[in-house]
Amino acid sequence: MGFPLADIAPELHKIAGYIYPNEFELHWGLLIVLYPYLTGLVAGAFILASLERIFNVKVLQPVYRLSLLTALAFLIVAPSPLLAHLGHPERSFEMFLTPHTQSAMAMFGFVYAWYLMVILLLEIWFDYRKEFVVWSRERTGFKKFVYKILSLGTTDISEKALQFDEKVGRTITILGIPSAFLLHGYVGFIFGSVKANPWWSSVLMPIVFLFSAIVSGMAMVLLIYMIATMFREKTINMACINKLSELLLYAMIVDFSLEILDFIQRLYEAEESINILSQMISNRLFISLIISQIILGTLVPMASIIWARFGKVPDEMKRMLFFVAAILVQVGIFSTRWNVVVGGQLFSKSLRGLTVYKTELFGLEGLFMVMLLLALPFVILYVITRFLPPWSKSETQLSTP
Amino acid sequence: MALWEDGLSARKLPQQVIPLVIIFAAALAALIIARKILVPKTFGDLGYYRAAAVDEIASQPISYAGSKACLDCHDDIDQVKSQSKHRGLSCEVCHGDAAKHVEAPDEVKPIKPIGRGYCPLCHGYNPARPTGFPQINPDLHNPGRACMSCHNAHNPMLPHAPEECAACHRQIASQKTVSHHATLTCVTCHTVPDGHLTNPNTVLAEKPKTKDLCGKCHAQGADSPAEIPRIDLATHGGRYVCWDCHYPHFPEAAR
Ligand code: HEC
Ligand code: HEC
Ligand code: HEC
Ligand code: HEC
Ligand code: HEC
Ligand code: HEC
Ligand code: HEC
Ligand code: HEC
Repeated sequence: MGFPLADIAPELHKIAGYIYPNEFELHWGLLIVLYPYLTGLVAGAFILASLERIFNVKVLQPVYRLSLLTALAFLIVAPSPLLAHLGHPERSFEMFLTPHTQSAMAMFGFVYAWYLMVILLLEIWFDYRKEFVVWSRERTGFKKFVYKILSLGTTDISEKALQFDEKVGRTITILGIPSAFLLHGYVGFIFGSVKANPWWSSVLMPIVFLFSAIVSGMAMVLLIYMIATMFREKTINMACINKLSELLLYAMIVDFSLEILDFIQRLYEAEESINILSQMISNRLFISLIISQIILGTLVPMASIIWARFGKVPDEMKRMLFFVAAILVQVGIFSTRWNVVVGGQLFSKSLRGLTVYKTELFGLEGLFMVMLLLALPFVILYVITRFLPPWSKSETQLSTP
Repeated sequence: MALWEDGLSARKLPQQVIPLVIIFAAALAALIIARKILVPKTFGDLGYYRAAAVDEIASQPISYAGSKACLDCHDDIDQVKSQSKHRGLSCEVCHGDAAKHVEAPDEVKPIKPIGRGYCPLCHGYNPARPTGFPQINPDLHNPGRACMSCHNAHNPMLPHAPEECAACHRQIASQKTVSHHATLTCVTCHTVPDGHLTNPNTVLAEKPKTKDLCGKCHAQGADSPAEIPRIDLATHGGRYVCWDCHYPHFPEAAR
């Protein structure tokens, strides 16, 4: 036991004002930033797919299956930041065994299982069933075996059976939209219901989360579609990405307005926390909120989509602009998650001081772990598309007008 | 070969529904069986926990005897301690769990914390401790010698009354040494009765009450060194006392 102050003295100058001793270190780090980012992508990609199916936005057909598979790939990875953060992943199944209905966090397992098993997998299965059956007959060797299993032993691809598939698929999609809202609204709900934290506690939280999810999911599908098409040496369907970025723009406008509304409301209410929160925004979060989230992540992409979509711009240039916008949106939404999760822990509950977040590089909660988890969905998506090519249907259908 | 033959679809159930029903039924059954096997027997009987845990914890061996248990044999020590500043401490805070010692005093001996590392757990300087709690910086306070060579653990009477206020008010003192008021002694502003140094909790030091005190040096016409910044005592700060805005031990003026 030394002189207790000596241990943290070198770090103390990073603190501004007064904080409680247990606020010096943040408990929710990068991994918890990653988690709402990933679930947001899932919900966003799924809602995009639903748009095509329910509202019959036919131009979006080239990305319909791709967005379903994107949602699946990200959903598979979504719980892993939580497992890595909590440790003891082998215990996670216990929340199914002894459900605690009064704890929002404990219900995550059920929200997740419902969305994965009942919504996403079923919708994908019904959508691909015909192909599974056909391929299990045509292909040979290992692939034949895989498709046999995926078809679950069904063989009926008569007109009537396919109609049934279509009907069930639609029903699931209709169920899926509120479920996708539930999945990500739920994440916002968790933050929004922390009464003691003025940065989080807001009824708007679930809704803001939801719209930012839609924004990020659409932009992600746009990105993946453009990159994948490039690698497959096919031509990008301009009508599709025009529509997609237009929808993205509308979602961004709603999202941004909601956030501004939340902001103005806070300013006008001017509760006792307003001083420390504005200090936090102008010091600690300046780069990630003002620069990265609002300017780079929202205003610049909105401007470039407007320019590309409604200006007189050659297709080549349009694609560039959409691409850059989609990347910036990802940066912006990741910053949004950062600002919520990390921001909520930077100021003291005494409302009199600010601490700092120090990112680690290695270790379970470090930067490398986060990059690994960020790369994983793309690997999974690649493997899935090897077996469930999302392009075939749309390309064949488009070639026959 | 089709697994789900037409025999079933004759009953108007589309073929593709059958494997799904089977899968979901199997998942549900697995969950039910897993619950049967894995959920502990008494879980949920009393609340959201395993009821048997209560008995299990109650049946654990007791390792602390409690503060009364020592009196039978060590009442001499208790007598000394109960008159001292350490009267609030239980024996086992320092000597560790001693239930076994009470049962067999000659065979099991409790620990005696004689290293220099131990007492600073409570007395090491830490700004979070309450005002006036006796604190030392173990690196500077008579280093290299056991605490017990000067202090009696059961009766920590100070060898002599502390000479400096810093002994008990280190936080304030060290703040003051780096402030504009570094040259001022504590008694410039505080009247301290003799007893405060030995019995601080019963004999209180006084705190300044009016702003005239500050005016003695800072008022426009005050008889004090010229480098001291002046204010108009009548108007500056309005009706507030000076220390509503300036911390007297570390006065700052925004410039
Ligand atoms: C049944 C009588 C009895 C009780 C009760 C008892 N002790 Fe003792 N204790 C003894 C005896 C006898 C010795 C040995 C004295 C000696 O060696 O000089 C001893 C010695 C000690 C020592 C010195 C050990 C050493 O290494 O020198 C400590 C410390 C001590 N007891 C603490 C306690 C504490 C604390 C309690 C209460 C939890 C307690 N005792 C209760 C009888 C008792
Ligand atoms: C502040 C910590 C502290 C508390 C409280 C405390 N002791 Fe001790 N005790 C010590 C230390 C340190 C020693 C060793 C003294 C030495 O070796 O000079 C000691 C020594 C002893 C001894 C050995 C004989 C002796 O006098 O040196 C006994 C017996 C003992 N304590 C009993 C008790 C009992 C009984 C109580 C409760 C009434 C108690 N102690 C409370 C710290 C404490
Ligand atoms: C569990 C915490 C604790 C431990 C351990 C502890 N003390 Fe204390 N000590 C106290 C408390 C409480 C006071 C009374 C403070 C007050 O009066 O405000 C005190 C007071 C004192 C005083 C001041 C007496 C005075 O007249 O001002 C001295 C000296 C002292 N302890 C020495 C020791 C030594 C030496 C040890 C190590 C054997 C020790 N303490 C271990 C809690 C502890
Ligand atoms: C050389 C003798 C000596 C040693 C060794 C010693 N002290 Fe002291 N201690 C004193 C004297 C004398 C005082 C009286 C006040 C002063 O001079 O600051 C005192 C005061 C204290 C006080 C009361 C705080 C205050 O100043 O009112 C505490 C607590 C204390 N000592 C704890 C310890 C601890 C813990 C150790 C071991 C790490 C220890 N002392 C070692 C001589 C000693
Ligand atoms: C032995 C430890 C000790 C020493 C030495 C000591 N104090 Fe204190 N002082 C205390 C404690 C303990 C309190 C808290 C009393 C309370 O709040 O009940 C206190 C409180 C005070 C207060 C606040 C009284 C109030 O009404 O809140 C002042 C002022 C003060 N001390 C000044 C001094 C000055 C000046 C000196 C040096 C000349 C000094 N003290 C030396 C222990 C000490
Ligand atoms: C410039 C005058 C001045 C000097 C010099 C000064 N004090 Fe004070 N002190 C005050 C005033 C004024 C207050 C009342 C503050 C309040 O009530 O908010 C006070 C309050 C206190 C208190 C109780 C409140 C607290 O902050 O914990 C303590 C203890 C105290 N002083 C100790 C000291 C000690 C020890 C020193 C010397 C190291 C010292 N003071 C030097 C003016 C002074
Ligand atoms: C015994 C004289 C004396 C008394 C009494 C006194 N001060 Fe001071 N004060 C000084 C000196 C000396 C300076 C330092 C001037 C310098 O920086 O050269 C100073 C500086 C200041 C400053 C300026 C700090 C800065 O940032 O420049 C403030 C504010 C202040 N004192 C407030 C107070 C208050 C409030 C009180 C009453 C609680 C008080 N003083 C009582 C002597 C005194
Ligand atoms: C309402 C808050 C408030 C109160 C009450 C107050 N001050 Fe100030 N004081 C300030 C501010 C703000 C400044 C710095 C701006 C300025 O120079 O006017 C300051 C500056 C000072 C300065 C430095 C002036 C200089 O020229 O550098 C001194 C000395 C001072 N105050 C002493 C006092 C004294 C003595 C009292 C009590 C009579 C007092 N103050 C009461 C707010 C206050």
